Amino acid sequence: MKERTITYLTDANLITCVIQKDLAEPVLEAAKNAGAQGATISYAQGTGVRERMGLMGVTIDEQKEVIRIIVSQEQSDIIFETMYLAGQLDKPGKGIMFMSALQRVATYIPDDVFEKLG
Amino acid sequence: MPIKYSQYLNAAAVRHRSLSYNSLAPIIDGKGQKPERIKLSFSQVVELMAPYCGLRVLDQLKAVAPLAAYLMLFQLLVLRHPVDSALTLCFGLIAVVIGLAVFMEGLSTGLMPFGTIIGDNLPKKASMFVVLIIIGILGVGVTFAEPAIGALQAFGSSVDVTKAPYLFELLNNWALPLVLMVGAGVGLAAILGTVRFVKGWSLKPMIYLAIFPVFVLTIYAWFDPNLRSVLGLAWDCGAVTTGPVTVPLVLSLGIGIANAAGKGGSSLSGFGVVTMASLFPILAVLILAIFVSFSITPEEIIAAAKTASNVVVEQPSIWDQTPLVEVVLGVRAILPLVLFLMFVLFVVLKSTLPNKMITVYGLTLSILGMCIFNIGLTYGLGAIGSQTGGVLPAAFMEIPVSESSPIFGIMTGLSIVIGFAFILGFGATLAEPALNALGLTVQTLTNGAFKKSMLMYSVAGGVAVGIALGVSKVVLGFDLMKVLLPLYIFGIVLTVFSTEEFVNVAWDSAGVTTGPVTVPLVLAMGLGLGNAVSAIDGFGILSLASICPIVAVLSMGLVIKFIKKKADNPVAV
Repeated sequence: MKERTITYLTDANLITCVIQKDLAEPVLEAAKNAGAQGATISYAQGTGVRERMGLMGVTIDEQKEVIRIIVSQEQSDIIFETMYLAGQLDKPGKGIMFMSALQRVATYIPDDVFEKLG
Repeated sequence: MPIKYSQYLNAAAVRHRSLSYNSLAPIIDGKGQKPERIKLSFSQVVELMAPYCGLRVLDQLKAVAPLAAYLMLFQLLVLRHPVDSALTLCFGLIAVVIGLAVFMEGLSTGLMPFGTIIGDNLPKKASMFVVLIIIGILGVGVTFAEPAIGALQAFGSSVDVTKAPYLFELLNNWALPLVLMVGAGVGLAAILGTVRFVKGWSLKPMIYLAIFPVFVLTIYAWFDPNLRSVLGLAWDCGAVTTGPVTVPLVLSLGIGIANAAGKGGSSLSGFGVVTMASLFPILAVLILAIFVSFSITPEEIIAAAKTASNVVVEQPSIWDQTPLVEVVLGVRAILPLVLFLMFVLFVVLKSTLPNKMITVYGLTLSILGMCIFNIGLTYGLGAIGSQTGGVLPAAFMEIPVSESSPIFGIMTGLSIVIGFAFILGFGATLAEPALNALGLTVQTLTNGAFKKSMLMYSVAGGVAVGIALGVSKVVLGFDLMKVLLPLYIFGIVLTVFSTEEFVNVAWDSAGVTTGPVTVPLVLAMGLGLGNAVSAIDGFGILSLASICPIVAVLSMGLVIKFIKKKADNPVAV
């Protein structure tokens, strides 16, 4: 039987950004420019703030996009900030984002990457 | 320690601070607190409103501005005729943009929730028969609410009574029954479409069955020289009805019902309604026209019109003058639909709305938007369309409005006019957002064999050819039916050989091309052009613009099927 390997990646953080639909594109673009390797996007529906704003709630799109990006701990701060700024989260009604530490990440790691790193 | 330049820049431009979430959401008296209503300062309101309004206005601006600019520039540069009352036109066009933006927002926040709730709950609480009746009545309601239908009524007075008495009679004295009949056609289409959703019927036999009576009545009307002039209007009505109100509202109901019956989820379940909704109104208008022809003779109409014009025109009351008449029309268009939806929701379903305030806001917006759009229709889209249409013949013949006419020789001038129509159709269609969505659906359906861009270009090319054909019909005065009927027969033949999926897409593609901007513009241009060259009527452009994309898409589909087959079974040499 062929031996198989699992490579555990450590020192990884997860950035999750819940943002109004149609604003996701610039956020993704910025994250990739800042070093993010890839992203997972899911569609979701938000609730809460919209209802508590009364009539002004119509200005906020109910449809959200949830962007999830796994980043290295070193890069996490700069990617987080870049995404925040690109998504204009410093303005009202745009979205929310958070970062959490990941215990363990595993995926396909090409052999040549190992060779390069020694 | 060395730091990266980018890190330095970030640190310099972004101020960081921390705040404990505990201080925002604390425990008070041992209990969590229900969040309070959010109060917004003025600057926050501005920050929220600006992108909200901006995006929606921009969407409409993208549809209106290039078309209007194209028409004006063509008139200025090629026809060498100044744009009359340019300032009023601009205000009118701005009204169109704002009106449409407001109306579309009202549609999605106010009217659509009704459609979804009713579609989800109605089949559970009422019998199929009641459901179908409600959908039928709804078809009439949405027709009244369709922005483009107002355009049809508005241009009725420009018809010459002596040349086309029945057309004049229909558009002027029978305007309300006309819209009612169109609505009845849409209602019937909605009923059949829903039954089709639930039973999973094939679209092909329905197309054959719907087209057969249309053909019979058309040929009957064609042999009556007085009725012949009505045909253009009747076939154009089909194109007018499938606009931004009818399609989503009827679809949301139909899909809800199909889901309740356990038949939803098919990628094709949304198709077909548009096709039916563009065929049945033709039938309905033809029936009405034939009914009118039995009840009144052309001589009586002409005599009545003469006495009417001889009578001193009484001072119109303030409600008959612009802009108030547009407001009245707008309210009249939306209110019946809203009242009917409310009746169904509160009385039949005994249900309530999830968010009353936002719904009321949406309904207000849709009425307000309709009024603004109507004003814009009169002063903006309609005015520029009829103006350019009126000056267009200057390219090849002598007309009083233009001193330098004829600018070109007959052949050059005619080809310039037809080329102008072609580009207009091509550009206007590519700008329709619905086309992009349809293209994506088709690409998925055919697993990429039929590319999105290919569909968009074949539909746009079809519409372009259609509008060019229609303009040549008005200018050269050839018989509309001699072109339209063979095209439809050709379309039917292609339908026989095409797969079910493709028939659905192709016949629906005609519906996506006739949005609230294109229809009034093309109608007004056709009628203005018709008056300038003293044609009998300027109708028929839209109907040609509907069938040509159908034929184009069906042929493309067959060609692709043929190529694929050849690639799959290479001939052994």
